Amino acid sequence: MGPLAVNEIISENTNLFLAFLIGIGFGFVLEQSGFSSSRKLAGIFYGYDAVVLKVFFTAAITAMLGLLFFSLFGWIDLDLVYVNPTYLTSAIAGGVIMGLGFIMGGYCPGTSFCGASIGKIDALVFIGGLFIGVLIFGLGYKLWEGMYLAKFLGFPKVSESLGLSDGVFALILIIAALGMFWAAEWAEKKFQREEY
Amino acid sequence: MRPRVLLALFVIPLGLIIAAVPQNKTNPFRLTAEELLAEANSRSQFVTPETVANMIVSKDPSLRLIDVRSQDEFEKYSLPGAMNIPLSDLLSEQYADILNQDVKMNVFYSNGSLSANEAWMLTRQLGYQNNFVLEGGLNYWFETIMNPEKPASSSPDEEFAKYDFRKSAGMALGGGGGVQAEKTQPSLPVKPAITSVPKKKKAAGGC
Repeated sequence: MGPLAVNEIISENTNLFLAFLIGIGFGFVLEQSGFSSSRKLAGIFYGYDAVVLKVFFTAAITAMLGLLFFSLFGWIDLDLVYVNPTYLTSAIAGGVIMGLGFIMGGYCPGTSFCGASIGKIDALVFIGGLFIGVLIFGLGYKLWEGMYLAKFLGFPKVSESLGLSDGVFALILIIAALGMFWAAEWAEKKFQREEY
Repeated sequence: MRPRVLLALFVIPLGLIIAAVPQNKTNPFRLTAEELLAEANSRSQFVTPETVANMIVSKDPSLRLIDVRSQDEFEKYSLPGAMNIPLSDLLSEQYADILNQDVKMNVFYSNGSLSANEAWMLTRQLGYQNNFVLEGGLNYWFETIMNPEKPASSSPDEEFAKYDFRKSAGMALGGGGGVQAEKTQPSLPVKPAITSVPKKKKAAGGC
């Protein structure tokens, strides 16, 4: 049956409309979980608040289990689901830049819009910086095109690289995530801050 | 109960189940049985030997002949320019790009039309387009193109035109057509149109 848009069960426009609705729901949940506060978000780097880790790993586990069970029931063809291409150099460089931006600005791109939607000035400034970055990247593309496209590894999945089945890797990831939640809550107690 | 414990009680059993069950590798069919039956009944998958012969002679680049017989049989005799995909290997991943495309017109053939039709049904059920079947297979090919039978003298003109075309095509393809007819330009057989499949768009995502 699925993916719905690839199998032409729904049109590309319906797909965008559904993405719009899901996006609003996603933004709402992020805001409600406190993702519009840069101090709460930056807490993950200092250990006093691990909400980022908890929300994103819970989302990842939920989506992962959902996809695997849908595939098991024959509701979705996982071979048709988009897997991000891996360009190793730019993935590492991008991770470093994104991480630095996150710890300095207190937001990641998605959450900055979340913060801006409730009128946070720091989020608006962050979005300004984001667009400056986009412009620099776009206008100077010729300069870093070589690095950007270097070390193309195809569309690898972690489970394939480790030689495990998707299901076994999912179980390992679930246990790892629960372990991290436990460690995060321990850190939250240890590095507790009264107000932030 | 604490949320973390509650979450663990929920996701660990699900993780155990998904780790224990085998992965679903089956490809769902894209056409229902009814849709396929209707298409098979319309016989639109068949192309006549004349169409194929004309395309071979005129070196039509869109034609791709696919021999679905075994490799032994393929090596003994095959149509000019044909490639061999034995029916047993049809679903092998290496041929997916050949069978699922929108550039060429794939024509399956076997000795009769049974195996070729099986290949067409399978590929059609997977949603592939532009695959066709040589009507009557190689047997009918030999009957019509390589050794055409002269129509009775009382036959209508079209029969003679068809015979002339078959004879000249057969000669061009190395058959025993005899002397080439001097006149009657036969109306060229029509070939089915290639359907272009919209390329699958990929979605991009991010944080």
